[in-house]
Amino acid sequence: MDKNKFITILIKLGKVDRRVIFLLIAIVVLIPLLKPLGLPIRATETTQRSFNAVDSLQAGDRLLMSFEYGPSTKPEIHPMAEAVLHHAFLKGIKVYVVCLWPDGQFMAIDALNAIAPLYDTVYGEDYVLLGFRPGNEAVVKGIASNLRKLYTVDYQNTLVDSIPMMAGVYSLKDFNLIFSFSAGYPGTVEWVQYGSDPTGVPMTTGTASIQVNEIIPYENAGQLRGVIAGMPGAAEYEALVGKPGLGISGMDAQSIAHLVIVLFIIFGNITYFLERKRSQKKY
Amino acid sequence: MLFTTEIIGAWFAVFLTLAIFSFLYKDNPFYKAAEHLFVGVSAGYWASTFFWTQIQPNLFGRLWPKVDGEMGGLRAAWYGIYDFFGWFHSGIFPEGGIDKGHEMNLVYMVPFILGIFMLFRLSRKLGWLARWSMAYVVGLAAGLRLYGFLNSNILAQVRGSALPLFDGWGTAINSILIIIGTLTGLFYFFFSKEHTGMFGKISRVGIWFLMISFGAAFGFAVMGRISLLIGRFYDLIQFSGSEYHHATYWLLAVIVILLGVQAFRERGKQTERA
Repeated sequence: MDKNKFITILIKLGKVDRRVIFLLIAIVVLIPLLKPLGLPIRATETTQRSFNAVDSLQAGDRLLMSFEYGPSTKPEIHPMAEAVLHHAFLKGIKVYVVCLWPDGQFMAIDALNAIAPLYDTVYGEDYVLLGFRPGNEAVVKGIASNLRKLYTVDYQNTLVDSIPMMAGVYSLKDFNLIFSFSAGYPGTVEWVQYGSDPTGVPMTTGTASIQVNEIIPYENAGQLRGVIAGMPGAAEYEALVGKPGLGISGMDAQSIAHLVIVLFIIFGNITYFLERKRSQKKY
Repeated sequence: MLFTTEIIGAWFAVFLTLAIFSFLYKDNPFYKAAEHLFVGVSAGYWASTFFWTQIQPNLFGRLWPKVDGEMGGLRAAWYGIYDFFGWFHSGIFPEGGIDKGHEMNLVYMVPFILGIFMLFRLSRKLGWLARWSMAYVVGLAAGLRLYGFLNSNILAQVRGSALPLFDGWGTAINSILIIIGTLTGLFYFFFSKEHTGMFGKISRVGIWFLMISFGAAFGFAVMGRISLLIGRFYDLIQFSGSEYHHATYWLLAVIVILLGVQAFRERGKQTERA
């Protein structure tokens, strides 16, 4: 085949209908889900540091988990939340759950119902769901100063004073670690600004991939102990805890899809430069 | 064939997922229906959740907390207003007051009144009252945010940029990169001086750092979107099983056929017009 003809074919392929690309991505995501490849998973430093932050807690210590995500980011963040719950219950850590997003409460109920029954845990003694309160950063500030003023009842309208594990819990300073599961505003940034920084309570986070760039500076500056970044981070945490879940099983598809997208980007750039070169020759 | 609520829910979830995916082909009635349903349900869910988690327990619960025993004088009159509201909706205003663990605090009349003012946006004559509520919200948010940003995003980040230079080669390279990136990035966003000469060259280095940052952000965005796709595919695979009466296959077939019929009709109309 002569060179010109080959370049013409490449340029034509570069102008392929976007729907063909959608279809190809769908296929490359679907195949590894049906036939997993079992690609290895190695924890990155940021995930390892998040794991260490929880692992350093002793049985009976208090972990505040905040759910700031909804169904739209569930595949990324829910596996992390479940893996952290596994970790906390395995170590006998007391788990307190609050939600800054209304749909976060659904996610929290879902995760607690799936994980808590696997361990010898009792609601109100080992874990409690305080639920959602509207107000964004004002809620974080409220928890930091006086949690009892904001939460007089839990999500089932049980008086907080009657919940055994709430004894001695009055503000954020009564917790040993904050763990925020965040997909945007309000989320990790607000917890750093109005929760962790002013009170000095250590904090770590699990975020949606799209938020990682915004969050990493806080981790670099030492304001966060660690960051679990998107589905790969969830898979790494699952591997560290030894409880495989949706994160690990989705990683093959994630890796293959990334590879294909990178190839598309390289191919798109090549055809763009070829076309530009050809049009420059014409004029 | 038995259709339990779980199976009906699965069919509904599959339909909505496929309806949203159908937008990748082109805008169509399935996508529109799913989009409108999502917006409506979200708005309704948020309004209801906000009311039952904040307004009812934390506002009304502080204005009319549950009281035991006899009441007299002003307090009885105050609870007379409550009883009047309760006559309309006993679920929101249960008999004897709201038991959410609060003490009575009439200062909460201020947010109550400001909240009512907010609703006056719907009135042309009294719409101006909503500005008072908005002013309060804007002022409060500005004050809160100023403190948060100053402390965590400026002071703590400046502190975080003061990095050790001589702690091994790796640390030294990382620290130098962070310092160069921070300074050149700040130079780029300084618009009071024309970006020419040495200043222009430094700000150009800043652009390179910004570009790398945008590239990383794009990579993370792709990762996020693929994760969401994986999540939806998981559900579609799960609901394609016999226990859900092969919901995915049936609904996929129906949507593809109907979209095909629509495309065929549209082509016919276009031919007629021509």
